[in-house]
Amino acid sequence: MERRAGPATGWMGRRSHRLLFSFSACSQQWPWRARGVATLAAPMASTNQTPAVRIERVQKRFGQVQAVKGISLEIPERSLCGFLGPNGAGKSTTIRMIMSIIAPDAGRVEVLGSSAIAMKDRIGYLPEERGLYRKMKVGEFVGYMARLKGVHPTGLARRIDDWLERLALPGVSKRRCEELSKGQQQKIQLLASIIHAPDLLILDEPFSGLDPINGRLVTELIRSEQARGATIIFSTHQMHTAEALCDKVVLINKGEKVLDATLSELRAKHDDRGLVCEPRGDARAFADRVRTEGIALATRVHDNGTVDLDLADGHDADSAMSAVLGLAPMRSLALRRMNLDDLFVELVGAGDGEIKKGARIDA
Amino acid sequence: MRERPQQSYLGKILLIAWREFRHTALTKGFIFGAVALPVIMIGVIAVIPKMLTEKVPPLVGEIVVLDPTGTVLPRAQEILVRKRSMQEKLDDLAENPPADTGSRLDAVAELSAQDEQRIEVTWRSGAAGETAESLKTMLSKGSLIAAASIDAAALDPAKDATAFELFIPSSLSPKHVGQISRALREAVEEERVARSGIDKALLARLASPPAPRTLRISPEGSEAKENTELRFIVPAAFMFLLWICVFTSANYLLTTTIEEKSNKVMEVLLAAASPMQVLAGKILGYSAVSAVMLVMYGGLGIAGLSAVAMMDLVPVLHLVYLAVFFIMAYFMVASMMAAVGSAVSDLREAQSLVGPVMMVLIVPIMLWMPIVQNPNGMLATVAGFVPPATPFVMILRLTAATEPIPMWQTIASIVWGFACALGMLWLAARIFRVGVLMQGKPPTPKELVKWAFVR
Repeated sequence: MERRAGPATGWMGRRSHRLLFSFSACSQQWPWRARGVATLAAPMASTNQTPAVRIERVQKRFGQVQAVKGISLEIPERSLCGFLGPNGAGKSTTIRMIMSIIAPDAGRVEVLGSSAIAMKDRIGYLPEERGLYRKMKVGEFVGYMARLKGVHPTGLARRIDDWLERLALPGVSKRRCEELSKGQQQKIQLLASIIHAPDLLILDEPFSGLDPINGRLVTELIRSEQARGATIIFSTHQMHTAEALCDKVVLINKGEKVLDATLSELRAKHDDRGLVCEPRGDARAFADRVRTEGIALATRVHDNGTVDLDLADGHDADSAMSAVLGLAPMRSLALRRMNLDDLFVELVGAGDGEIKKGARIDA
Repeated sequence: MRERPQQSYLGKILLIAWREFRHTALTKGFIFGAVALPVIMIGVIAVIPKMLTEKVPPLVGEIVVLDPTGTVLPRAQEILVRKRSMQEKLDDLAENPPADTGSRLDAVAELSAQDEQRIEVTWRSGAAGETAESLKTMLSKGSLIAAASIDAAALDPAKDATAFELFIPSSLSPKHVGQISRALREAVEEERVARSGIDKALLARLASPPAPRTLRISPEGSEAKENTELRFIVPAAFMFLLWICVFTSANYLLTTTIEEKSNKVMEVLLAAASPMQVLAGKILGYSAVSAVMLVMYGGLGIAGLSAVAMMDLVPVLHLVYLAVFFIMAYFMVASMMAAVGSAVSDLREAQSLVGPVMMVLIVPIMLWMPIVQNPNGMLATVAGFVPPATPFVMILRLTAATEPIPMWQTIASIVWGFACALGMLWLAARIFRVGVLMQGKPPTPKELVKWAFVR
């Protein structure tokens, strides 16, 4: 808080105390510094409810392909947001625009109340495509990235070793990056993106190529970063991880936002209107009775003997459950939970169908 | 919000520069290369001539001479087998330098040949009824290695020397042609001298002019033996030193930029630093690599010269020029390499973009002799103002001891050169900014221009 309220010179002073050569006397006249201060000080002083990331109607075209078609969204501070969507939906492009690595053709991007360029040192970024200096030693590489982001060299090596231990990579500090396996390299790169304790962490496909054990390790890491106070955005197409981790999901398809809701909102909307039953007797007969009794509007009988019911208007989950138990003995009976996988297929699948139809006509 | 230290603008540049330097110059590969290269070069210089001298092709066959006076043949026969002194061979080589590289190498081999060449030549004068035409037929059938027809007029000392005819088969090596024609020419010459009645030894004494013993008198009054060859070599040494140092490190700059792009490290790096910081850091880092090489090789050269007490060949002013033009050359070449490196995605694509630039930069290497011989000539003056070649040509001109170049040209070239270097740096920065994030096919020159000038 102090920093936001403080005058520009205070910020500058802190910046310059770490200069290898002291330029503090003349630094205030440097144009790039002056600009940095202006963009920093103005929005930050206003309010602390500024979302960590706000993008408004951003668009990006690559040649003939409109990769992003006017996406707007806000990601509140300290939230954990999942970017979902099929391959080529525009997730990485959106993330790269948030990072100011590519400029949008139209629209506005605001990161931490400013831009990702001015806020570089407060952001951690794991790009979709992994890159390490192959010949550099692991410890050296992570240290270099940390130093570039302003981490003080004192105690840095110790801190890296602690982190490596936490990531189940003890003692790799002195090995060259190229000697590590792909999964290990990915963890190193993740470490390089969080070593400076960023306020905003943007991870593009952090789970791809990881085995379940490492996947869980990274999940824990993301949770602990959120607990530390960081805002986290990550993209994935593994729905179950998103379901387990996120506060908020944004689903992008063909460059458009098709869903933007918190997970609790989604649950409230999709959870309560269905049951999953496993009757002891004949599942089909049971399904027919449920419909004739007016408990369910529709039923779906699965091959494994379970029956899905969509509740009739006169019933809520509780009354329906007791009514169903009255009809037949049950092996199991449960509320039908919202399933991101199904939602994903529902929202995205339609579009894919169209593409398939088009392809057939062409052929 | 927590208190957070941030890395300063310059701090990031210096960090990047240090990493580039550390991982280029302070590696086993670089140190080995830097030491091994001169050793290998010396080795090559020592070994190549030895390999060349291994084999001198023998000269075997029959030569027919059509000579109405019959005086040339015995002389030619004797001259061909006479062992010639080294000096004679050298003089001859200087007089008639072979046209193609192959025979030039042959000539060098012959010069340094330790073992005698095998010569088994049967000479005979033309039999009755043999004419030039019939000899030509014999040659084409392959039964002769040469035939000559000498006009009596050519032997008359009262007349101007005229040509004689020498016929050779298409397969005879240029080296053997040289030997045979030389023997015949000298035989004709001897005959002409003999007929004129002049003492041959006297003629030789008269024809060789006295050689001067040149002493250069320095302003301090000390005398030094003039060494003309070295005065030609020193400027070339300066230029090659510049060339090697600048290109080695600029090439590292090119390859590491391409590597970072293809490795996707660039995106990670750009999440921490701006493209300008990355570019500045890289250029700074490799300037240090380049400077280390310059000091190392240059220092070796100076140590070598002072060991043989020839430091007067390298005045301090020339070292100042070297430093100035080194900086200019480095920034010119490094900007180009950075721009190219950022624009392409592999080394092969880079070659085609670097190619045209290299053509311009080869000019000073190809033309060092004419430039050093005539540093104020049209060629040298113009080439000195053609941007990427400027520092290399100027260092040649300035260190050439033959004649001083006008002061205004020195100053103008420095001002112009640095202006160009800055312009190239600016262009490189514009291209780098865009190119560094581009993937896929390399840009066309038109696209490069667009990147550079369109916002």
